[in-house]
Amino acid sequence: MKAINKNDFSEFVDDLIENDDREVVGVQTKSNEFAFDPLKSAEDLRLDYDVTILPPKKYFMPQRETLVEYNLNEGETTPVNQVVPRIIMGIHPYDLVAIEQMDKVFEDTHEDPYYLEKRRQSVLVGVNMANVSDRSFAHTMGTATTDTGYDIMLTDIGDRYAIEVGSSKGSNLLEKAGQAVDDITTDEIRKVKQFKEELPKKFKKDTKFDPFELPSLLKNYYENDEFWEENAEDCLSCGTCNLVCPTCYCFDVQDVNDISLSEGERLRTWDGCMLEAFAEVAGDENFREEKAARYRHRYMRKGRYMYNRFGDIACVGCGRCSEQCLPDIADPVEVFNQMKEGTS
Amino acid sequence: MSKPKVAFFDFAGCEGDQLQVANLEEKILDLLELVEVVNFREVISQKSDDYDIAFIEGSIASDHDAERLREIRTNAGIVVALGSCAAIGGINSIRNSQNPELVEERVYGDDADKVEAWDKAKPVDAVVEVDHYIYGCPIDQDEFVHVVESLVQGKEPNIPTYPVCVECKMNENVCVFARNGGSTQISSSEREVQTPGAAQAEQGPFCLGPVTRAGCDSKCVNEGTTCWGCRGLVDSPNENAHKKVLDKYGLTVEEVLNKFNLYFGWQQEERNNE
Repeated sequence: MKAINKNDFSEFVDDLIENDDREVVGVQTKSNEFAFDPLKSAEDLRLDYDVTILPPKKYFMPQRETLVEYNLNEGETTPVNQVVPRIIMGIHPYDLVAIEQMDKVFEDTHEDPYYLEKRRQSVLVGVNMANVSDRSFAHTMGTATTDTGYDIMLTDIGDRYAIEVGSSKGSNLLEKAGQAVDDITTDEIRKVKQFKEELPKKFKKDTKFDPFELPSLLKNYYENDEFWEENAEDCLSCGTCNLVCPTCYCFDVQDVNDISLSEGERLRTWDGCMLEAFAEVAGDENFREEKAARYRHRYMRKGRYMYNRFGDIACVGCGRCSEQCLPDIADPVEVFNQMKEGTS
Repeated sequence: MSKPKVAFFDFAGCEGDQLQVANLEEKILDLLELVEVVNFREVISQKSDDYDIAFIEGSIASDHDAERLREIRTNAGIVVALGSCAAIGGINSIRNSQNPELVEERVYGDDADKVEAWDKAKPVDAVVEVDHYIYGCPIDQDEFVHVVESLVQGKEPNIPTYPVCVECKMNENVCVFARNGGSTQISSSEREVQTPGAAQAEQGPFCLGPVTRAGCDSKCVNEGTTCWGCRGLVDSPNENAHKKVLDKYGLTVEEVLNKFNLYFGWQQEERNNE
């Protein structure tokens, strides 16, 4: 482990903003919330945030991106990959875990060069959670801390940040900070350890389940229509829970012609299984027409389907879906607790 | 292939949607490569009854309107409702829930008895079949171009069926309900504490985004205001859930109904009759 004075770290960030070819983005305030955005100054970086509106997945899988440009007259197609190399500052452990899960998804079976190239050209600077949002339950999901997924990881230990290096990308980045990066003291190592040990106490959600029970709990509840209908009754089908989720990756693809009708682009945009038309297919058939069916699908996906395929519980406990659902029906803790209580 | 002939017609409305088309500026020249405009009162003086695509702006509000509209429907292969008034009844249908005599008197004074308007302003599809809808008050210029392009190519235009929240989230806006130190998760007692006296002084935050059809790129919320619902309700709005949300944020039933009536008047009435 290494350490750096907070002032030196700010100078380091300012130096990167000014001199590094890559775009430096980090967590900043957005009105009274937080968001990852391009940094203009280290002053704006808020490493004490609780949670951002959107997860950093937007940097690897943008909300809208062009995949191919085409010319119909010439019969030409040109693949486009709009990669912006980035240094991303201030990623919480649960989001790092989510990114590792997404790496698997986009590497599996059919490699997705759009996602993967953006990932390769990004440096992930993690930070341990100084503050915890009311709805987060990362402590239960085992994602409040992580030993992997970051290039470097910071922990606030008072006047200095402790730094853990996770990759050569991380050590290369640190080299740019030069002499400012110091060896960590024994006392500081103890502080990092203590920080991580005390973190679970900061979480407010009362969880009654173990994440590894979720696949079987969900299986038992699959056919309990009443359970899903009751829980989904107030669903607005607005897709918020999908869009803000760090492990939701579904997308839609459309060909958009420009006004000449001879040129155009193939566009990929975020989609979500809670939206009414998500499962609509040719002939106007919709195999998840009812909101309860869509609601159930989201939970199955997070707690069972992804586990069956990749071995991951695809809920990292960030609490974004729960925090941002207006009718307040998207809190996984409430649903999983109900299942657990109904089973035992 | 000859260019499809296009005609614009206005009924009860402000003609703001046609103005959006007239204001396409350089794009209008590109558009004229695709279609031939034969009727467009705001832009050209000639008229013709020979057209393939008719864009109808405004609500239908009298027998005379209906007769004229039916004639257009007979002439046109494709009828497109242009803008909120034509597509969903829009602002004109605010009056549908009011006493028609009072409305006429308020607007026309002593001449009120000369007015031969229906008690209700109706969207185009209440009178004739509509093939396509371009929503918005006013319409979005890019969406208009997209619809024209699609029709010229014989493709189904891609109009979102999901609510504005989707675009708002993609734009990473702070939710209207979470502005000013608020939270998306709040009890009404907590809100009073956060904004003392807010309940008396002004109503709580409202946003019709959760039940309004997207396609506007959430532009009003992006600019710091709120969604007024100008694109109409989504196909399957969960109004009950949305009303509970508004209630949680301190809007009275009457205030909620007022907000819903601005653009949703006709759609709400239709849904209640179902």
